[in-house]
Amino acid sequence: METSALTRRSFTGLGLGGAAAAASGGVLAQAGPTPSAASDKPAPLTTAPASQAGLGPRLTLHAIDNFHGTPAAGMVCELAWREGDTLTPIKTVTTAANGRPAEPLLMDAALQPGHYELLMHLGAYFAARGVSLPTPNFLDRVPIRFRIRDAGQRHHLPVLFTPWGYSYYRGS
Amino acid sequence: MAGISTHVLDTDRGRPAAGIRIDFSVLEGGTSEGGTSHVGTSHVGTWRLVKSVVTNADGRTDQPILAPNEARVGQYQLVFHVDDYFRERPGTAEADIFIDNPVVRFAIFDPAQHYHVPMLCAPGSFTTYRGS
Repeated sequence: METSALTRRSFTGLGLGGAAAAASGGVLAQAGPTPSAASDKPAPLTTAPASQAGLGPRLTLHAIDNFHGTPAAGMVCELAWREGDTLTPIKTVTTAANGRPAEPLLMDAALQPGHYELLMHLGAYFAARGVSLPTPNFLDRVPIRFRIRDAGQRHHLPVLFTPWGYSYYRGS
Repeated sequence: MAGISTHVLDTDRGRPAAGIRIDFSVLEGGTSEGGTSHVGTSHVGTWRLVKSVVTNADGRTDQPILAPNEARVGQYQLVFHVDDYFRERPGTAEADIFIDNPVVRFAIFDPAQHYHVPMLCAPGSFTTYRGS
């Protein structure tokens, strides 16, 4: 398929020249000559988005690193129930190379209506990638507060972030 | 000018969000490098409420969140009470309110700089960033 060459990775090469991109190293996470097998390295973007339409009730997360233009691999996220200021930990997960945890955050009976907080370790994520930031960094552990009202529905939570801002929404 | 300011915008309507209560707190007893963790103990501190303010018709606060001479290196948080705003807004189905009184935690790393922290919201989405 000719279209398979049209990845963002190949656009990086076109824009900067492959050698220049590879030589610059550092924070250009996509410019490495070969993808690493380690789960905490950004993967080359060769896969198309996956539709979750038709799947059963679940809460899924997708972390996108808008600084590097890659899925956010190796992001530690703590999920908790929230009742006012009281947090009850549910689980801690780490995102895989595709920016998603290996399993849905919650599924079927574990998905309950209520208030949730997902604490994302943004500072540690960028520190592990050698991104030079102030001390203390503007954003470190980012709380994402959301509500599940109907546990019979599928809930997708995309989080887009840079060291200087983030966005989340109810996705699909 | 240094200090902290904010601006709340309703991106669903394309208007400033007026009448939103914002709770501004500072972390005390934590480490300088980070905020709190749900399960860890190394960064535990206590959020002390400094003040609560309400956005005006322009979605801003009449006074700065933090005045320049009060700025110190440290961890701060803004809680935006948008739930009431969305529920009282005509035409919004409660079932569509997904964001849940979002909190923004951030650091002042250089008290000589200004930290403008806008918040853009709709019932199903939230965005913040270091603005200017």
